[in-house]
Order: sequence, then C-alpha cells, then structure tokens
Amino acid sequence: MSLTRRHMLTSTIGTVACAVALLTPKRARGADEVEDFLWRLTGRKATPSNRLRLVMPAEFPTGYTVPMSITVDSPMTEADHVKSVRVFAPKNPLVEVVQFHFVPGRSLSSVSTRVRLAAPQHVVALAEMSDGSLLMAKAWVAVATNGCL
Amino acid sequence: MVPGSVAKNDVFTVKAIIQHQMETGLRTDSTGKTIPRKIINQFVCRYGGLEVFRADLHEAVSANPFLEFNLRATENGRLEFSWREDGGATYSLFHDIVVT
Repeated sequence: MSLTRRHMLTSTIGTVACAVALLTPKRARGADEVEDFLWRLTGRKATPSNRLRLVMPAEFPTGYTVPMSITVDSPMTEADHVKSVRVFAPKNPLVEVVQFHFVPGRSLSSVSTRVRLAAPQHVVALAEMSDGSLLMAKAWVAVATNGCL
Repeated sequence: MVPGSVAKNDVFTVKAIIQHQMETGLRTDSTGKTIPRKIINQFVCRYGGLEVFRADLHEAVSANPFLEFNLRATENGRLEFSWREDGGATYSLFHDIVVT
C-alpha cells in the first residue's frame, strides 16, 4: 500500500472519528450514569476519590458469591474518620447491597464480604466521612452466570 | 475467627461467618407463590460493650454471610458478635481477647 497524503488524511480522520465515537460518549455516559444514580438516591454530590478503594474481580464465574473488599485511607481519629460505607448494585432488582459502620479509634476502615449480582454491572461504593463529604468509587464486574435474587 | 492474644494497640483481623439461607423474598416456589424474605439483616460487633463495627445487610449479600474486618486491640475485653434475622431472632457468639 502506498503512503499518500490522501490515504493518511482519510485514515487519520477515520481513526479519530472512531475513537471519538467509541471512547468519549461511552466513557462520559458511564460516569454520568453512576453520578446520576447516586444523586437520585442520596440527593447529594459524591466525589470520585482514590482514598476509597472498591476491589472486586473484573470477571467472576458466578453471581452468587462475588468477593468484595473495601478500603478507605483514613487515620480513623475522632477528627477524621469514615462513618459508613454503602454499597449499591444498580442493575440488581434491589439496588442496596450492604452498609458498613465504623467507629474511630477501635475499628479500621476496611472490610471484605461476598455479594450477589444479578447482571454484569458497575458496583458503586459510597463512603461518608466525618467531615460530611461523600467519596465514591466504582468497579466493573462481569458475572458469567447471574446470581438469582 | 479471632486471635487469642494481641499486643496492645496492634491491629487484628476478625473473620465471621454464619450459615444462613438468605432467602431474598424475590423467588417463587413451584406453585408460583412468593417465598417470604428471610435474611440476616444486621451484624454487630461489640468490644468491651461498645459497638465497634456494624453491617446492615440487604438481600444482595451472599448466602452464609461472610465478613472480614479489622480492629485495634485497646484493652482486655469481650468481643461479642451478634447476627439479627428477619423476625427479630438473634444469634450471638462471644470471644475474650487478651491484650499483652
């Protein structure tokens, strides 16, 4: 194949168009969906944050017992601690999964459990901090067989 | 699962599991009738009488609910775990922790 200016132009435009069509709207929509969901649910603005980590397998064979680990970076002092973490599965028939409550000084801000997912979806965690802020994290989980709920 | 003794101010891990069907109330039996919901809806861990960790469980928590969390060993005391079922029945377990 000869490398002409016309060829370069069309292929570049094609690639850019593809990238724009495939990546941007999908990514933007994904983020909006989660934020809209949380807004409808809590009526408050949640901030995506690296301090809150929701660790789940990206693919899992069964939706009945999907492992889930949550860690929040927090000194857990009286002045600065995590009050609670809520977990939602927006594609489940009942979206609420679990809520964990922590206390400063005695408990650490990490927890693991196993959950059911009715479909592949973004699982969302929402941490309420002692200063009133809401931190948000999500994890995409593809389950091969859907957990019956 | 809890260690027997822990150094003061060290962090230790608690692993708790209870055998339970966790019937979600969304399933139907062979005649099409809804099977009523019966799940463990709350887990509480108390340390020396004070609540240190609580989990409010909903239908999407797996059967045989498993929880793993971390506590700081502040003093000798009793760890009390209690699971509350729909209908109000509770199941409890005690473990004395020795702080060295």
